[in-house]
Amino acid sequence: MTKSLLVLILAASALSARKFYDDDPLLVEPKPRPVLKAENRKLSDIYDLFAHQFGPPGEHQPQKGESIRARAVNTLGDPMEGVWWEKRHYFKPMSREDLIRGANYAPAPATGKLTITGAKNEGITPGFVVVDSRKQTYFVKFDPLSNPEMATAADSISARFFHALGYHTPANYLIEFTIDDFEIPPGVTLADSTGRTREFTRRDLRELLLRVPKNREGKFRATASASLPGKTIGPPRWFGTRSDDVNDIVPHEHRRDLRGLHVVDAWLNHDDSRAINNVDILSKEGGVQHVRHFQLDFGSTLGSATQKANSPRAGVYFFSWKESAKLLFSLGVYVPYWALAHYPKLPSVGRFEWETFRPDRWVPEYPNPAFQNRLPDDEFWAAKQIMAFTDEDIKTIVSTGKFSDPKAADWVAECLSKRRDKIGQTYFAKVLPLDQFSIVDNSLTWVDLGKKHNMHAPASIKLQWSNFNNETGQKTALTGLTQNMIPGARDSYFVAELVDPTRPQQTISVYVRQLAGQPVIVGIERAW
Amino acid sequence: MLKPLALAAFLTASLSAQPSTRAQEIEQERDKKTVLLKPEVVAKPEGFLRNFKDKRYLERFGSGYKGFRPKLGNMVVGSGFAFGPEYYREDIRNGEITFRASAQTSARGYLKLATEVTLPRLASSRINLDLRAAHRNYGAIDYYGPGPDSAETGRSNYRLEDTTVETVLTLKPSRHVRLGPSFAYLNINVGPGTRSPRFISADKQFPNVPGMQQQTDFLRTGVYAQFDYRDNPLGPKNGGNYVMNYSWFNDQRLNQFNFRRMDIDLQQYIGFFNRTRVIALRAKAVFTETDRGDQVPFYLQPFLGGANDLRGYRNFRFSDRNMILFNAEYRWEIFAGLDGAIFADAGKVSPRRGLTNFKDLESSVGFGLRFNVRNSTFMRIDTAFSQEGLRLWFQFNDIFRQRKFGTTTGQPIY
Repeated sequence: MTKSLLVLILAASALSARKFYDDDPLLVEPKPRPVLKAENRKLSDIYDLFAHQFGPPGEHQPQKGESIRARAVNTLGDPMEGVWWEKRHYFKPMSREDLIRGANYAPAPATGKLTITGAKNEGITPGFVVVDSRKQTYFVKFDPLSNPEMATAADSISARFFHALGYHTPANYLIEFTIDDFEIPPGVTLADSTGRTREFTRRDLRELLLRVPKNREGKFRATASASLPGKTIGPPRWFGTRSDDVNDIVPHEHRRDLRGLHVVDAWLNHDDSRAINNVDILSKEGGVQHVRHFQLDFGSTLGSATQKANSPRAGVYFFSWKESAKLLFSLGVYVPYWALAHYPKLPSVGRFEWETFRPDRWVPEYPNPAFQNRLPDDEFWAAKQIMAFTDEDIKTIVSTGKFSDPKAADWVAECLSKRRDKIGQTYFAKVLPLDQFSIVDNSLTWVDLGKKHNMHAPASIKLQWSNFNNETGQKTALTGLTQNMIPGARDSYFVAELVDPTRPQQTISVYVRQLAGQPVIVGIERAW
Repeated sequence: MLKPLALAAFLTASLSAQPSTRAQEIEQERDKKTVLLKPEVVAKPEGFLRNFKDKRYLERFGSGYKGFRPKLGNMVVGSGFAFGPEYYREDIRNGEITFRASAQTSARGYLKLATEVTLPRLASSRINLDLRAAHRNYGAIDYYGPGPDSAETGRSNYRLEDTTVETVLTLKPSRHVRLGPSFAYLNINVGPGTRSPRFISADKQFPNVPGMQQQTDFLRTGVYAQFDYRDNPLGPKNGGNYVMNYSWFNDQRLNQFNFRRMDIDLQQYIGFFNRTRVIALRAKAVFTETDRGDQVPFYLQPFLGGANDLRGYRNFRFSDRNMILFNAEYRWEIFAGLDGAIFADAGKVSPRRGLTNFKDLESSVGFGLRFNVRNSTFMRIDTAFSQEGLRLWFQFNDIFRQRKFGTTTGQPIY
């Protein structure tokens, strides 16, 4: 009796091993459940830095054995659209206007007086919180005196790239103003260098603006970042899940959209991509209150470190034992590659270049578990999206930085194009760069992205169809079926194994479900 | 019988729990999470660090309670650890006036009382006015006698007690230039050192050096100019800083010690490999001159030796009417918070300006580490070698740090 039941249980497990469900591929996350209570939880940037630097948190890839594949993806290998990410430019090419607009949930500040409701005097560059005549709140940030236009341009440009790549971002606008455009109502306070708060006066405003560069017309320039709709509940971590968010079920270090972000951050030189530069917002959409995850604070991207030009160390960790030991004991004779990078003298760009850039060795300021866990298919997912930006697209978005020096705009666009190409060359070599699979006239078709972007010689693909048992996972080769034509049997699953004999380790399995004579691609798996 | 039944129940549950769609699978995960929901909290150490920063404890500690705060260090080298209370306000008349008053004592019993009123915002912050008064009583300043050939074994010590009242006006005509006059009245007294009998008192060892037996008051007027185009004055990697200070010391009582003193400090920083390597150079000179019959008191003569100049030698190892010093450091970045350094120092003192040349320079070489926060050196460890042995220095400053104009640049001991 017991044995029989065990057999039944095993059968049940086999049932649960079913690979594809009827609703696969799921393109959109199921509607989020209501998050009734989530409090603001701030992180300590110092703790966050040390915790990641010296005790990498989260679950890491095993040293041996099978790697942990990315989760929070559908069976096609793309993240489901939802609170972390949405399909944008690669999947649905955006118009020039859409690329320029970026996130658009809030308009640019209305013309007229801006009322200061908060001020910060920390660091070298000041910042304000202002409200425009429509009662929309904006966070206003400036450039450092040493690098006019640098941080504001970087913020404007990168926010739009992140948006076009599918991430949720604030709506950031470049504004120009004079000191007379600001009003200071009573009750606004400023924390001075001793930590005490006191009334913020017009004189304080004048003195803060002494640390802000003026343009030729005598105007100040700033980024106005519209406040996000909802309640701020602190940044998401790069590992684990939020314990108060019922919808946050995949550890962040295993999310494809976060693993793949490494490639995006490398491209845009977003080395300050610490947890504190993201934010979770509790907002109500469709009548349901839930958490949405935003990338923000792009002032430290491209060649900028917000308050100064970026460090030449961009792309390496703040600290690593091995590198430090080499530098210490060689008495500096050992010169790391980044110390040899050449940067043109463009104050509005800071330090940004492409020649020493190698996307696979680029790292942010501290070890990021999601980035460290990335696998070639995570990288490919991000790389294919980045490769979708044409030179023209890049110039279009760079134009939103409104550089007064055309050389600066040209250099940023050139660097982004060259860095993009290096990303394509690097990551399209790690997996077969075939994508955009579809069925046309009952034949399986795809786009060879390597060929499309002139990265590699066109793949000479060999294809082999097999029957696929969705319940057991068993594949049975269909002898002689090596053409693109979908096998004809009804209500069955088939799998096409695609291989390029010159790169035999790199294969793609495309799963097709024949249902009522309508073949549908339900799954894509990459091996390398 | 019970076992199979339990298994059957489990099987039923398992079967009923099998999702039939991907969406259902996700919902099941959400079901599991529902029972585990709890408020987001941070670990205690993280919470502590977060609150420490958010509540600005460091700034508050630095600013003290109602203006009162501890003051650490900032006394003459060799004083030992110095500490004491300070009253500091930078919010008087909405920041137009800052005021500080401090009283410090040190591990060796040195005493320093100082007060300062500053008007930093005159003429849209282009003019700065400092009014300062200080009283110092340092019990055992080392003195090895005058001249470049003074013997290490001649180490003696003396008490320096002085009171200074001064005003310094700083004009900032452009971003890189500062200049202005200073006026001061100095009352100086020296006496037997308190480290006797371990070290002989200077008045016994060198009874005939100028100023040892008789002290006077000085009216000091001076002018200074600075051209500073360092990229970051707190941790320069490129650029230069050139300072000249000229002072007239007028003896107010004895009419024996009238003299003129010129301080020159030239610093050049040459950064390469994206400023991760820096060659830092400094040439420093002090020249004094007197009219016939006048002398320069030994305690207002330039000194050489110690953590901030000739590092292979003891503090105040050489002293005379003129001095030249050259420092060269090769610094390389080990990581963002630490630089390594290899250095060489050379310098000499001389009784006459004509003897101020490159012959017979005293020298030292060594290596060190510079600990940085936000591109500013907050601590350094230097190990230096010279013909007088090895010296290890722990210092909370940059080797080329510039002192404030006025008292500290017009007088050799600060």
